[in-house]
Amino acid sequence: MARLLGTPAAPGIAVGPAWRYRPRGASGVPVVAVGSRGEAELRIRRAADAAAAQLQVLAAQLRAADRPGDAEILEAQALMAIDPAIVDVAVRLARGGMAPVEAVLAAAETSAQVLAELDDPLLAARAGDVRDVAVRVARAMSGAQLELPDKPSIVVAEDLPPSLLAEIPAGLLLGLALSSGTPTAHVAILARSLGIPAVVAVPDLLDSMRGAAVVAIDGENGHVEVNPAPADLQALADRQAVRGAHARAAAVLRGRPAATLDGQRVALLANIRSPDDATRALDAGAEGVGLFRTEYLFLRRHSAPSEAEQTAEYRRAMEAFGPSRPVVIRLADIGGDKSIPYLVHADEPNPFLGVRAIRLGHDSRELLLTQLRAIWRAAGQAGVTPHAMAAMVATIADVELLCGLRDEARAAVVATGSACPERMITGAMIEVPSAAIMAPELARLVDFFSIGTNDLTQYVLAADRGNPSLAGLQDALHPAVLRTIAAVIAGADAAGIPVAACGELAGDPAGAIVLVGLGVDELSAEAGSLDGMRAALMGVSGAQLRELAARALAATDAETVRAYANEVLGAGL
Amino acid sequence: MRSIDVEVRNRSGLHARPAAAFVRAASAFASTIRVKNVTLARPATNAKSIVGVMATGAERGHLLRVTADGIDEDRAVEALRELLARLDEPVRD
Repeated sequence: MARLLGTPAAPGIAVGPAWRYRPRGASGVPVVAVGSRGEAELRIRRAADAAAAQLQVLAAQLRAADRPGDAEILEAQALMAIDPAIVDVAVRLARGGMAPVEAVLAAAETSAQVLAELDDPLLAARAGDVRDVAVRVARAMSGAQLELPDKPSIVVAEDLPPSLLAEIPAGLLLGLALSSGTPTAHVAILARSLGIPAVVAVPDLLDSMRGAAVVAIDGENGHVEVNPAPADLQALADRQAVRGAHARAAAVLRGRPAATLDGQRVALLANIRSPDDATRALDAGAEGVGLFRTEYLFLRRHSAPSEAEQTAEYRRAMEAFGPSRPVVIRLADIGGDKSIPYLVHADEPNPFLGVRAIRLGHDSRELLLTQLRAIWRAAGQAGVTPHAMAAMVATIADVELLCGLRDEARAAVVATGSACPERMITGAMIEVPSAAIMAPELARLVDFFSIGTNDLTQYVLAADRGNPSLAGLQDALHPAVLRTIAAVIAGADAAGIPVAACGELAGDPAGAIVLVGLGVDELSAEAGSLDGMRAALMGVSGAQLRELAARALAATDAETVRAYANEVLGAGL
Repeated sequence: MRSIDVEVRNRSGLHARPAAAFVRAASAFASTIRVKNVTLARPATNAKSIVGVMATGAERGHLLRVTADGIDEDRAVEALRELLARLDEPVRD
């Protein structure tokens, strides 16, 4: 078996045979023989109308299924099918002698390019919709049938047109794994509302599918397991069952602030990957965002995102949550592990110990300054107090660099006469052991700490997060990690600043109660985890949690800590 | 020929859904209708083309110029003015 790590796009767990979708694109649509050029024009117009009609039918079905938001996506595509900017151009190309199928694809490509070049990433993403529609028109012209899986399957593809996802009969589509794509693409939005677990941006997905009989996907954690072992399947099935039971119980508590039995409040926040995740987070009762991962703005492109593009995105997130729910923006945590052509440093042999996150503040200074200016501007426009934090903080100098860039960015925004808040709540992510050791001094320089438990575990135990042979060393409940966290909290307490935790540990009910027992003030996790965390906290008392923390700190391995935590959770049920 | 300038008021500008509503409304008229983002000084595009309308890159606060030319030009610009004023719900796209 192999486990691939991608980006979670729609929650849930699915197991089934893999069905590979291969786009036919321009080359796969059969050539249509035409007699005259007048006939070509007629065929193009008829095919465009037919494609628009198909999309309208699909949209009507979605409306009937009470999914108006998804229906609107397809209705917009129906208008693209008959868009004069595409159809008239295609007709002109066909009159000039181009084969009708090619004419449609070429005309659509021109329109797609126009959209792709727009500054607004959401509009630019619609280029994919235009190409999707063009293939549908071409298919209507050639009469080619859509290939469908013949039994319920996990659909595996490089990318999937959103209209095709809507067209696969519900029972045949168990889950979705894509090697490209983003959680904000329409296909991901559709998958979420269809309740189909999906993982996108999975590297090496298609190569790993050779010889794949069964695939399991975990849409919460972004895992794709190829030919999972029986034990893994059992573990997934167990989680699925527990999820169902907890979801029913926990949904009742939604909307209530999380607190222990004796009234100790714990703020539950959501991790988001784009402003599109706001609705889900708010629905799950998030009191704000503890980690807005901004990397999506920086990856898979040739130049850094503009200040205006970033401002629009941050503002959208801030407005979705409003002035009383903070949105903590993490400055781009990128580095040499992804080939980012506009970064000064790239292709490092050991990127997780390389120039990434706040360390970019030296050689790629402008990148962080632009992001900070965008955060100031967005907060000024949205009328909220901005919150930002940097990853990979290792030294006092790193925090001084962060604060210096922050102040320089503010001065630049103020100089343009734009609305700008007075201050930015500034935090340091604690994930590097040196930062944990220096916590008392660091705490005097920032407004809050946010413990990134995933990286902290990787660095404390010196075990590569991506290396499956070291999976046993990647447990954040290891007492070495917990003792480090306890030291960080002691440092923060002395300076009077709050501590948040935003790794996977926070989203695990067992991890959540241990963290709160240690003294963490806020927990931030994927929206889908909040119900479980809330339910766990509301079943225990502060005294129980402090006792649990003391036992956990005295333990010598992660398994023991987990057993202690499960005991407390079991007693609380 | 009739021309009006309207400020885009809805939160997410002319993204897919509001653009579709705009195109549907424009397509109901016989006049030739063009739309131009004055703020960004982009070239005018066909208001009956969803790609054209999205390509205005219209965001909240931008000024749009809608120009209609034809037998129903007055009704067309008024209908589109009203539509742009109504587009204020959040859009998820």
